[in-house]
Amino acid sequence: MASPEVDREETNRAAFVRRLSTRGGTLGVSVGPGLVWLVLLLLAPLTFMVAVSFMEISESYDILLQPTLGNYEALFAGDGPVWQTPFFKALALSYFIASVTTVLCLVMAFPLAYLLARRGGRTFKVVIFLVLLPFFTMYLVRAYSWFLMFGPSGVINMTLITVGLVDGPVEVFGYGVPAIIVGLTHAYFPYMLLSLYASLDGMDFTLVEAARDLGASRFDALKDHIIPLTLPGIIGGSLFVFVPSVGAFITPRFLGLNKVQMVGQLIEDRITFAYDIGYGSAASMFIVVSIAIGFVLAFRYVSIEDLGGA
Amino acid sequence: MATEPVDSTDSDAADATETVAPTETQLLDYRTIDRALKRLLQLVAGALVVFLWIPLVVMILLSFAENASTLFPFQGWTLAHYRATFADEALIASMFNSVRVATVAASIATVIGVLMSFALARYAFPLKETFRTFGILPMVIPGVVLGIALLIYFRALLGELPVIGAAFVPGFWTLVVTHSVYGIPFVVLIVSARLYTFDEALEEAARDLGADPFTVFRDVTLPIIAPAIGAGFLFAWIRSFEDFIRAWFVKGTMDVLTTKMFGMIKHGAAPKMNAISAAIVLVIAIALAIAMNVGNVTGYVAGTIDEEE
Repeated sequence: MASPEVDREETNRAAFVRRLSTRGGTLGVSVGPGLVWLVLLLLAPLTFMVAVSFMEISESYDILLQPTLGNYEALFAGDGPVWQTPFFKALALSYFIASVTTVLCLVMAFPLAYLLARRGGRTFKVVIFLVLLPFFTMYLVRAYSWFLMFGPSGVINMTLITVGLVDGPVEVFGYGVPAIIVGLTHAYFPYMLLSLYASLDGMDFTLVEAARDLGASRFDALKDHIIPLTLPGIIGGSLFVFVPSVGAFITPRFLGLNKVQMVGQLIEDRITFAYDIGYGSAASMFIVVSIAIGFVLAFRYVSIEDLGGA
Repeated sequence: MATEPVDSTDSDAADATETVAPTETQLLDYRTIDRALKRLLQLVAGALVVFLWIPLVVMILLSFAENASTLFPFQGWTLAHYRATFADEALIASMFNSVRVATVAASIATVIGVLMSFALARYAFPLKETFRTFGILPMVIPGVVLGIALLIYFRALLGELPVIGAAFVPGFWTLVVTHSVYGIPFVVLIVSARLYTFDEALEEAARDLGADPFTVFRDVTLPIIAPAIGAGFLFAWIRSFEDFIRAWFVKGTMDVLTTKMFGMIKHGAAPKMNAISAAIVLVIAIALAIAMNVGNVTGYVAGTIDEEE
């Protein structure tokens, strides 16, 4: 014999289910929280930053509701021509370093991804483990580990000197642009590898064999079949390497050792030491807009879903 | 790139092609080139693994060495750096802060991310693609930019509000919400990929047999997508734990592990840094080895989830 209380509970539950099962109910529950969170903590802050970049900031860091282009002018203000200003130099250096890093990652990751896609079993598991472990290791720790390797008295230089190959520290193994590029390549290489692996893994290798049977050279097979078929992976991987490289902070901070300044460091410097939010937001806008343009160009060839995990 | 001969007919055919094209002088036969290319490929792969590992190995060696910053001249082994590290209360406290922030932030990101994944994978609604893009954006937006945007937002806008403003003084909760936003894309990508391959007939069958939506979700849907949810949580957790730059801006006076480490090495190598880093590499190695034997880590990381797992 069912007690009336249980009945009431069942009815409540049924009513709740009915309300939830309406179109509005399902959408409200599934879209609602994400929408609120993203609007309040992503869209609003970014919009606010755009607004701040166009507003005047008082001496006491108050945001005055007066539209101005002063923050943008300040980016390129200084003695001498535009390309001598710190911001322009930092931005150009960042794009240069990010481009070299992306190309290096691509060239290095492709053979390994190819090998992994063609092979299964135990070797595969061991290699994947060896690649994933540095990937899951803290980014800061990896940057620091290269900090130990480079430098005038770093591990590389001291080893070379001890072995007797060189007499004094070698400039290339000191801190600077080459060290930053190595550090960033090490940091973002797994993104490229996993991106390429994902698209090579889904590739039909019988197509390549067919092309070879029909007389295509190895190079032709690579150029006409493998590369076009893995293009989404190449573009996705390049984005995952290039974008964080442009805005990198920790790696250039350790491996550039104040000799060079990338744009991420420049912005951090202005915010941390002077709380110069006008400068910081205007400079951030430059990075965001340039990245957005890159995305629009990339998505003409690949959809955001193809980018997959990583 | 080498294309391996999978069977004899394949290489026979290739040989045949080469015999009908006698204009090219073949110094080496097909198989020799193939073998050489394969060796070269393996050599490159080996060199890459060495490249990925060498700085970490050196760092681990240095954590046991008297001389903390460079291998030569070598001065002997010691465990003193480890003792000093684990006696450093501020460092250990910052690590627990990191764990707390990462756990709360990843939990929020997982709940929101899973619900978003259902919306994106199952339902149609206006501006869906915009919604998806914004869900992925925190992952691709540079950390410096996200950190500054949120710092300005917390300090100059939310912090100025009456009554609730005090809650947005940079500290634990600003860190948590920042990292929860940062974690959402990792959950969304992994869980929605799983939902796209999900056979909805299973749910229909359960519903036909009289199960109400809650029962269907609990007994059918959840067990199937649980590994993906777990992987998403883990990813969001790791991203929060290892993040420096976003935390740097919104942390206020609270230190997490990464910001503490940064303070330690700002002015050069630190013996404690070697020890704590080596310990972290070890912990992650064990966790990863276990995870790889339990679940399909590669599939989740590379986005190629196999059905038979």
